Amino acid sequence: MRTDAEPETAHQEVALPAGATEPPRQWGRKLPAVGFGLGAVALGASVPFAGGGPRFYGSYLVAWLFAVSIALGGLFFVLLHHGARAGWSTVVRRLAEHLAATMPLLAVLAVPLALGLEELYPWARPEAAQDELLAAKSAWLDPGFFLARAAAVLGIWSLLAWWFRRRSLAQDASGDPAISRRLKALAAPGLIVFGLTLTVAAFDWIMSLDPHWYSTIFGVYFFAGSVVAVFSTLILLALAARSAVGEVVTAEHFHDLGKLLFAFVVFWAYIAFSQFMLIWYGNIPEETLWYAHRTGPGWEGVTVALAAGHFVLPFFFLLSRAVKRRAATLVAGAVWMLAMHYLDLYWLVMPNLDPHGAHPHALDLTTLVAVVGFGAGAFGLLARRRALVPVRDPRLAESLSFENV
Amino acid sequence: MSGERKLWGLLAEFTSPARLAEACRGVRDAGYSRWDAHTPFPVHGLEAAMGLRRSPVGWFVLGLGLAGAAGGMLLQWWTATTAYPLVISGKPLFSWPAFVPVMFECGVLGGAAGAVLGFLLLARLPQPFHPLFSSERFERFSDDRFFISIEAADPRFDRAATAELLDRLGAQHVEAVETGGAAAAAA
Amino acid sequence: MAVAEIDPHTLDIDPAVTDIDPVEGRPRLVAGAPGFHGVTEAVARPVEWKPPRGWYVVLAISLAALGIFGVAIAWLFWEGVGIWGNNIPVGWGFPIVNFVFWVGIGHAGTLISAVLFLLRQRWRTSINRAAEAMTIFAVMCALVFPGIHVGRPWLAYWMLPLPNQMAMWPQFRSPLMWDVFAVSIYGTVSLLFWYLGLIPDLATLRDRAKTRIRRLAYGLFAIGWRGSHRQWMHYEKAYLLLAGLATPLVLSVHSVVSFDFATSQIPGWHTTIFPPYFVAGAIFSGVAMVVTLMVVCRVAFRLTHLITLLHFDRMAKLMLLTGTLVGYAYATEFFIAWYSGNPFERFAFINRALGPYAWSYWIMVTCNVVVPQLFWFKKLRTYIPVLFVASILINVGMWFERFVIVVTSLHRDFLPSAWGLYAPTTWDILTLIGSFGLFFTMFCLFVRFLPMVAISEVKGVLPEARVHE
Repeated sequence: MRTDAEPETAHQEVALPAGATEPPRQWGRKLPAVGFGLGAVALGASVPFAGGGPRFYGSYLVAWLFAVSIALGGLFFVLLHHGARAGWSTVVRRLAEHLAATMPLLAVLAVPLALGLEELYPWARPEAAQDELLAAKSAWLDPGFFLARAAAVLGIWSLLAWWFRRRSLAQDASGDPAISRRLKALAAPGLIVFGLTLTVAAFDWIMSLDPHWYSTIFGVYFFAGSVVAVFSTLILLALAARSAVGEVVTAEHFHDLGKLLFAFVVFWAYIAFSQFMLIWYGNIPEETLWYAHRTGPGWEGVTVALAAGHFVLPFFFLLSRAVKRRAATLVAGAVWMLAMHYLDLYWLVMPNLDPHGAHPHALDLTTLVAVVGFGAGAFGLLARRRALVPVRDPRLAESLSFENV
Repeated sequence: MSGERKLWGLLAEFTSPARLAEACRGVRDAGYSRWDAHTPFPVHGLEAAMGLRRSPVGWFVLGLGLAGAAGGMLLQWWTATTAYPLVISGKPLFSWPAFVPVMFECGVLGGAAGAVLGFLLLARLPQPFHPLFSSERFERFSDDRFFISIEAADPRFDRAATAELLDRLGAQHVEAVETGGAAAAAA
Repeated sequence: MAVAEIDPHTLDIDPAVTDIDPVEGRPRLVAGAPGFHGVTEAVARPVEWKPPRGWYVVLAISLAALGIFGVAIAWLFWEGVGIWGNNIPVGWGFPIVNFVFWVGIGHAGTLISAVLFLLRQRWRTSINRAAEAMTIFAVMCALVFPGIHVGRPWLAYWMLPLPNQMAMWPQFRSPLMWDVFAVSIYGTVSLLFWYLGLIPDLATLRDRAKTRIRRLAYGLFAIGWRGSHRQWMHYEKAYLLLAGLATPLVLSVHSVVSFDFATSQIPGWHTTIFPPYFVAGAIFSGVAMVVTLMVVCRVAFRLTHLITLLHFDRMAKLMLLTGTLVGYAYATEFFIAWYSGNPFERFAFINRALGPYAWSYWIMVTCNVVVPQLFWFKKLRTYIPVLFVASILINVGMWFERFVIVVTSLHRDFLPSAWGLYAPTTWDILTLIGSFGLFFTMFCLFVRFLPMVAISEVKGVLPEARVHE
């Protein structure tokens, strides 16, 4: 309908404040030390509990999934940006590249989970051989094959994240538009690989916690939650980055991030409701048991809190244009959505280990701090000595000057 | 010509959206209130150039949308639990998961009705008769020309001074529009 | 520090009238720099002059098919539903396949109009009017089938929640009731959105009208539009909000249609991925239909400078994307059928590929998964013959997808003693052909009497429309 603000001609002279073009000296300087330090302490505090059954592994899995889903969302953001040839998001893309590139560290952090396979997954235990249903899928749910798939999936994500970040950083130096063309060509098959690997990961790591249960939409569900998480994280990072790059990140960018966060909150609710309603309607015990655990007296409150907090409240909150354009209010919403995303993962994982009720434990906090601490430390290392904005991306000018309706 | 002919206002023609926007800023700064710009497509940034406030259509959408959703849920709840209760495949009478789709659709319908009604009300349409349609040159507003109209009813209006202002602001052509008479209908 | 400088001359395009992408030297959305008046002329001309002879030919064929539709429906009402091939165990046959097919086609119009608008894809302006019209006509065709397929069609109004002397009310727990609301509300909202978009263009036609009848007709529906910016402001907000409403509507309507199947307990039907899978498939088939229509219309009405190869390139990419999503759903369903360990679920998928209807399954897979892979190649995305044939094949494939879903799951479900076969009757096939008659008749009338490109929107994306000089 209306004309967007266009780059005036192909010759572009854009004045970026010094903080944007130079790698930030002070910004996030302490992040690696603080992140790794906190992470190590928290991990140390958690490990003594490792021997006491599935509680440690459950908490750790939730925390790890939380971090991985954000990194995964970052990878999706980068792939989509290149594949769709988006302009407006150029300003925040570097932050997403760093997020995605924490994947190798997160892969290493998966090792405790590999050690606790039997604690977490019923199919990994010796008694699974007697279960007829598990025997039927033992070709897939075999510990060796499972670990190989996990390694492959994490490896593919790490490679994609690393490659896209590396080429983007190379463009900082050369300004070569051919890099953008190449990344666009790679993004489309990248997205296909992304979709397939994410589905395998969701089926393997979360769905098989209850190996009798299945849902074809589960991969999409995990994807929706991850995208909500990454937009929330990008909003926080964009605000943090403003202290270094100044008004390069404008109200327009927050507005767009807010709109996308809103859209994916609604998308998440659509997927979550579809899954629930279809299983409820068909009323087949094999499928409904999973929900019965979550709507029984122990977990009912969490389910209601999730529906209200992950959808109803943010729907009305993020509807407002004013909320989306002001960093302070949008950031509050983003923090809330991250908390809700954690709750979502908690709700997916824990009822399989403790069907009788939600019993929060200090471990939940320490494992979360551990994984997020290490992840943040890695992010700090990745962001250090690099420009916070892709300074010579040919579409940067478009990103800086665009205006919302 | 029967009927009294009174001056309705002045109509200025421009050849490009950029010139129009500049002229609008001029008219706004000169303190006029009863005036308007006419374009074949919505020109970006003209609200600011004209000093207009944002459109409240959104409130119509929100209000009617929520009313629609509530109405949809109420209809289903009432028919299923009170008016015509049937036990279908063992589901409870108030099977709320099954009622969500229709509730949602009713909400969207309400919202859409709100958008259209809000637009019609705020834009004061349909309005098939308007003095501007008596101007032949004005027909090009829907093709490739851009216009500013200033009503004589505006407190700052002065036939000579306003015409001179429009001329100064870059109008290609300024004409007087009269009300009354037979020719003021669009269709 | 300067951002990358690009020499426009190496990109071989005149920067003065250009919509350049700094990386790719993206060509203009409108070719030939027609200017505002040129756009008006190009789009209004087909409406004001005598249509090309081909139009009369297409209209005649469409009217003939529409006549067949009338005869088929009349015979149906007279003889009863027994004239169709629906039987036990396949109680749902062609009618529901056709219904889902037509609703699906409609979704692309809303996607192009609403979703691409929200995503600020300016290339949509050349095709959104025709696409929205396509949606309305497709929904009309779709709604015919539920209307005629009940045994006593004169009681079809019982589906509406109207107070009556029997104190009866619709049973809202049924997905078929959800369909009634979803599809009719979809039709209504699409109509409102389409009409809102038409108002400025109807004003254009009114202002150009040479005869009194035309002036009155267009003027009536243009409701006195005078391009006032105070009105444009409210108009744009309403348009934006309608686009914002139409987007979840697109998701929800075909999800509700998918619920017809997914809420059951039948293997191959009861699977949670149906809602997004159906939506992706709907957009897939709808965009294909838009491509088919535009290939013909742009040449017939000399609009090739407004509907350019760039537009086909984008639509081909959309088909590739949605086709891939459909392929993803096929793969996931297949895997989970095995993973579930449920023998009925596993059998349902083996039966699809190897059973009596395997031929339809492989048509589906070839047309929906293999054909769109052509669009990885830019040369093929912008080569009209390939686009035309591929888009038709995709629609064939999508029709067969619904056929496969309905027939293969119903003809062999749990008890082998209940297994059977399904075959359509001549009347099934004639009714399907007839529905195309309705669709193309409406579309012919549309291109004859209404502007098939959104004039004011296209003007808005021309370089001359920019205010910042």
